[in-house]
Amino acid sequence: MFPDLRRDVAMPIVGSLALFGMLVGSGLLFAALQGGRASGNLVTAMFIDAIMVVGLQIYIGNTGVFSFGHIGFGAIAGYAFALFAIDPVDKATRIAGAPWGLADVSVSPFVATLIALVITLAVAAVIGLGLARSGAESGAVAATVITLALLFVTHEVARSWVSVTGGERAGLTFGIGKILDSRWPIYVALLGSIIVARLFAQSRAGRLAKAAREDNLAARAMGVNPISQQTIALLLSVAVVAVGSSLRVYDIGSVLPGLFFFDYTLLTLVMLVVGGRNSVTGAVLGVAVITTVREVARRLGSDGYEFFGIGLEAAPLGWVFREGLPRVVLGLAMLGFMIWRSDGLISDWELDGWLWRKIRPPEAAPEVPAAIASDPEAKLVADGIVVDFGGFRAMDNASMVASGGEIVGLIGPNGAGKTTLVNVITGMVEPSGGSVSLAGKDLTAAPSYKIARSGLVRTFQNLRLFSLLTVRENVETSALVAQQHGSGKKLPTVDELIVAAGLWEHRHRRASELDYGNSRRLELARAAALGPTFLLLDEPTSGMSDSESLDMIEQVRTMASMVGAGILVIDHDLNFITGICHRIYCLDQGAVIADGSPSEIQADPQVQAAYLGISAPA
Amino acid sequence: MTELVQNLIDGLGRGSIYALLALGVAVVFGVMHLLNFAHGELITVSGYVAYALFNQGWSWFLVAPLIVVVAIITSLVIERLAFSLVRGASDFTLVLTSFGIHFLVSAIFIMSVGARVKTFSEPGWIANTFAVGPINVEVFDVVVIGVTIVTLLATVVILQKTMFGLALRAAAADFDTARLMGIDSNKVIRGAFALSGALAGIAGVFWLMRAGNTAPSSGISPMIKAVLAALIGGLGSLKGAVIGGLALGVAEVVLRSQLPGEAAALTEAVVFAMIALLFIFRPQGIISVSHAERV
Repeated sequence: MFPDLRRDVAMPIVGSLALFGMLVGSGLLFAALQGGRASGNLVTAMFIDAIMVVGLQIYIGNTGVFSFGHIGFGAIAGYAFALFAIDPVDKATRIAGAPWGLADVSVSPFVATLIALVITLAVAAVIGLGLARSGAESGAVAATVITLALLFVTHEVARSWVSVTGGERAGLTFGIGKILDSRWPIYVALLGSIIVARLFAQSRAGRLAKAAREDNLAARAMGVNPISQQTIALLLSVAVVAVGSSLRVYDIGSVLPGLFFFDYTLLTLVMLVVGGRNSVTGAVLGVAVITTVREVARRLGSDGYEFFGIGLEAAPLGWVFREGLPRVVLGLAMLGFMIWRSDGLISDWELDGWLWRKIRPPEAAPEVPAAIASDPEAKLVADGIVVDFGGFRAMDNASMVASGGEIVGLIGPNGAGKTTLVNVITGMVEPSGGSVSLAGKDLTAAPSYKIARSGLVRTFQNLRLFSLLTVRENVETSALVAQQHGSGKKLPTVDELIVAAGLWEHRHRRASELDYGNSRRLELARAAALGPTFLLLDEPTSGMSDSESLDMIEQVRTMASMVGAGILVIDHDLNFITGICHRIYCLDQGAVIADGSPSEIQADPQVQAAYLGISAPA
Repeated sequence: MTELVQNLIDGLGRGSIYALLALGVAVVFGVMHLLNFAHGELITVSGYVAYALFNQGWSWFLVAPLIVVVAIITSLVIERLAFSLVRGASDFTLVLTSFGIHFLVSAIFIMSVGARVKTFSEPGWIANTFAVGPINVEVFDVVVIGVTIVTLLATVVILQKTMFGLALRAAAADFDTARLMGIDSNKVIRGAFALSGALAGIAGVFWLMRAGNTAPSSGISPMIKAVLAALIGGLGSLKGAVIGGLALGVAEVVLRSQLPGEAAALTEAVVFAMIALLFIFRPQGIISVSHAERV
């Protein structure tokens, strides 16, 4: 579940404790210095907001799917908690006629929280199914709308189902003296949420979710099925939000429809994006910063322009320092950060990641391991493939075969259908006819992540790396998939692949910081880490100089033999293709016009005609 | 049968307003890939201007055209001050930017004029009805539907017959290629926001006539209706936005009359839940606009 126990479990727990200590410490220090109940309440509210925002971060941060709905889940949990935890005597005045005997139920707040958690998770499971069906991915509009609809549905139900929720005016209220009177449950929940959020981010599911966040298509091509990771992220994040919401209701002592609606959605979202939505540390930092800024604005707005004893009475700014100031400041913070710093204050920096970089043991580059054998009987067969795009036949009855371990080239002029053929084989384009199989197993039109797990792994013509992840994390993503779904063959380690790709000294850099050639090599290493039966390379040398592509030949050979993979490669560079391939297929206008050894292909008059425009002898 | 026709007319009246709002959202989405959660604020701003003018003794006849002008100007100002700074940013940034504007505008009104609802009088004829056989038709519905038809026709003419319309449609189909073909992206985007503002302004006149008040949070309801209607239709499709708006209006009216007892109060919740379900089974909306990714 975790690639490295020290880095991914021990350090995150240490980091979470430190983060928790800093937030709680500074909060308590502030409350002690200020004194009074108001500052105590402010600090309590900040701790609860931190639980909520960390909950949001688990979903939004790791999946990149934007959710308006988490506060809607919060509303469900808050009402469920109130319904079960409020004493029947106090409920009798508001909702005596509640159905299913809800008015007479009485359980302890702890049990009520558990009930709220279960109910909210059940709703989340349904919504999660919907998100999965609607193809949720980073920035997906449908997901935003489903979650927004959830927020409005809960709000409308809370307002209108008066016999259960108490409606808009009365709401549900705890009896006097029966509300949360100690911060201990909050501390436990807060520390728990931070640890859960950090562990999830480092776990297998979290890493795969982040890969899909960076590039959904590439993640699926690496055997990741983002739906399952996103569902785990959603359930975890809703669980944290449900606990936070129960505590919020218990602390405030009542629940009204407005408590979990637009205002709170905005507050928590601002906290999340100001700190940095891709980082748990950022989420906690955002809570602290926004709580401070908001409190300063509140005081400036209400205390007669005086703040910490500094009088501003003479200032001609009366029109600014008014009651509504905190809301304006929140709105401005949201806008300002989105316009000038949309990744937040610290982007994806994590406290424990930083600590780990300080204390991790020195690493030595491993030796590149020996080649492993490939099974020549594991044949890749594409038979009679037909693809129609509207009225245009892009692929016309094209067939090809490659034996395990073989290096096969695909050449042809622009628009010949080379990439289309690779797209069909890897499940990214559905053919209108024909079949694809590997080692006798039919893979025609299977989902691309299943095809990748079955042993056909591709690279992309226009690079598709997981840009925010480091070089090592990119390769680790595939290695994690291979561990769970691989064929069981003994694969080289992540570090060995990185060395073989010549990226050892870059291993801690982000993929987005690599130059072009290194990016290509990283894509190759990432694909090889899945331990495929065939690597499908779409123009691995495009944009490279001659000497670079010569080096690339060596690297492609080494990497493929390290994992015992055959190769299907598209390229325009004939030196590269003839230098590396055992056999070549030449495509033109969607059909295979020739196949054979490199020398046969070079001598073929039809190939010359297709390439050079010389008319073929009749 | 009578009830059905009655509901249909009421629904189309209501839906016409949604259609105009949704069309504005779709026009902007087409050129910027921005789902504009700040769209409802055009009505909030117009509402306050209208309130100020009514206090000066102006009548609806004079205020109505001014509401449209104010909405256009507001739309352009918002584009200039905020959206022009995030052009081409990720969808995440765009959504949150518009959400931030939505919140900021209402916050500014709370700070400057207070959170309390400001009321003004509706036009006298708004409650008038006339009978066609057994059916009671509201004059207001007839006016709304009539004006909407004229507005939609005018929009079609602008989109089909003018250079700006051609540029806008080209940009909606493929923004980058349109730019390469020499279309001035600034002009197209500003034009889209102006058109979107005009549509919101016309819808806003009717919205304010019926509401008879304005408040800092007035923008939420038109915003959610506009966004949902645009999505039901299939984002990016202008025709879909209009259909989505009409469908939303009819669905609301029919459900409210059909749901029993206490459940009628939950009409909006039921409608939103249905929309969420629709998206689960047909994420691309009623009319699908292909956004296939090339690899």
